[in-house]
Amino acid sequence: MTRGGSVGQVAQQELADSIRSRRVWVFLLLYLAGSVAATILFLNILQKMETHLVSTLGLNPANEPGGVTATLWKSEAFQRMMTQLIGDRKLAESLLSIPPLALFWGWLCLTFGPLLVTLTSSVRIAEEVWTGSVRFVLFRTTRLTWVTGKFCGQAVQLLLAFLLSALGAWVVGAVRMNSFEPLPTALALLVFAMKAWVYGLAYLGLATAVSQMFASPNVASAMSFGVLIAVGMIHGAATFVKAVAWRPVLEVLDLLTPGGHRLDLWRPDASHLVPALVYLLVLAFGYLLVGHLVFRRRDL
Amino acid sequence: MIALEFQGVTKRYGRRTALNGLDLSVPVGSIFGLVGSNGAGKTTAMALAVGLLRLDSGAIDVLSQGAFHPGRQGGRVTLLPQDSRLPLHSRVGELLNYYGRLQGLTGKRLKRSVDEVLDWTHLQDRRESPVRTLSHGMMRRVTIAQAFLGEPDLILLDEPLSGLDPREQVRIREMLQLRRGHQTLLISSHNLHELEALCDQVAFVELGRRIRQDSLDAVIRRRHSLTVVLDGPLTLPGVALTEAIPGVQWTYDSTRSELTLVFPDEWTPARVNGTILPLLIDSECGILEVRLGSGLEREYLSATEPPKIPTGVQ
Repeated sequence: MTRGGSVGQVAQQELADSIRSRRVWVFLLLYLAGSVAATILFLNILQKMETHLVSTLGLNPANEPGGVTATLWKSEAFQRMMTQLIGDRKLAESLLSIPPLALFWGWLCLTFGPLLVTLTSSVRIAEEVWTGSVRFVLFRTTRLTWVTGKFCGQAVQLLLAFLLSALGAWVVGAVRMNSFEPLPTALALLVFAMKAWVYGLAYLGLATAVSQMFASPNVASAMSFGVLIAVGMIHGAATFVKAVAWRPVLEVLDLLTPGGHRLDLWRPDASHLVPALVYLLVLAFGYLLVGHLVFRRRDL
Repeated sequence: MIALEFQGVTKRYGRRTALNGLDLSVPVGSIFGLVGSNGAGKTTAMALAVGLLRLDSGAIDVLSQGAFHPGRQGGRVTLLPQDSRLPLHSRVGELLNYYGRLQGLTGKRLKRSVDEVLDWTHLQDRRESPVRTLSHGMMRRVTIAQAFLGEPDLILLDEPLSGLDPREQVRIREMLQLRRGHQTLLISSHNLHELEALCDQVAFVELGRRIRQDSLDAVIRRRHSLTVVLDGPLTLPGVALTEAIPGVQWTYDSTRSELTLVFPDEWTPARVNGTILPLLIDSECGILEVRLGSGLEREYLSATEPPKIPTGVQ
């Protein structure tokens, strides 16, 4: 069997095993419930804001949320104001062309996706080393093939989670929003789902790397959260700490974190978006390989 | 031809040395028994052979193709690990198919191989069962089944019969014997009677070193030794034995009531029987059993411990 074929076999088994163990269902339901709850919360807040706006400005009241926002969103004055606020006309136009619901959902996935990836994926390899089930496999295929297969299986699971979550947000919007645009919203959600997936892959690479380094699932899980916090702190420092001598170092370090490429995922033009996606994929496999440098030398 | 060779293999876990310059040669087509106490390094040796552990020094040659790598010897070498747990949520048949595909089996060959191993481990009716629903013995049989997928050339079995019920132990032992000459089996076990019934070569390993390696016949002196199990104490004087068979060496284990005789080349077991048994009967020693050879357990104990039983040597 070719190496690609073996990777596919391991990925398929990983996915099938996840589905049977109900772990994937917990994972998917977590995404779905989180997304639906957050979308409902978002629409409730939106409705309250609109109600307040309507009473203040003496406009016609709307029973469902989104009507006033949609009107405002499309008004020239608001668009001019947003362009001035963002300071980038193209980016402002791009953001304002996205339905508000999709915009919120995209932010939600990019913010909480990494946390869920860490929660569910950081133990996968460590768990198999811990139980010894890895000993039935690693004389049949190489360690790299097995790890890559595990990563791919988790990646498919992650994609399913984002798509299901997007569907949940779309259904909530369709039921609750006044001026809901089904097709543009669906397309925007789909685009964000793909962006969030690639962004999530980088974190999956990070979790897989940590999982390769520790035999205990609990330690792997704790270390993954530690790494997640460390990576977040680097990005936070690169964003907010401006006037320091080691700022260039911070900028380089930031490029090595997924967060350093997050802003580019919001940009409409390919010149920003494509390199960001490529960077994130390189980071995903880069992290994976760094973990593998330890894993390939480990006693199992 | 050598299927597996260890040359001065050393493996350390931190400060503890698990293997300390182990030398081992497993001939092609043999059923090879690895005997040693707990912590002697048997499991470590097996894991090293298939690359699950990294060796510190020395060399291991697998199937005359150098150190093990799945890209080179993958599918030709399999392992039955001792205390490893199968993925609990997988189904038995699906898991075996997965392992088979990973080692390069496809299509009808894969199906035939999975059917075969399920048949002889009596698991056909559990093909669709999730592993977590199986009993301990059944899980053990699945782990045995996976080691025989695809007719590998070299199979490493760590305590293969532990956890099986007596009937299954007999069945699996018979199946293992059928492999003699076709495949090379390296078996580690603490059950020395099991090894004696199965193996044609054995090695004693203690403290990570090989103490002895030879054919089973040579180790237990099958052609030059008899063990007589008595129903009570030995009442025949030792001098009567040495007068009847000049050059004989004898030992008597009073705790087991076992008289072991090691005789010179010119004597055959049948001739020794014909000479000794009448003497024992005349001296009113009840005879319960006569075995060829001295027994692996006795040889292992005497090779690894100072002798504690009274010995008569002419």
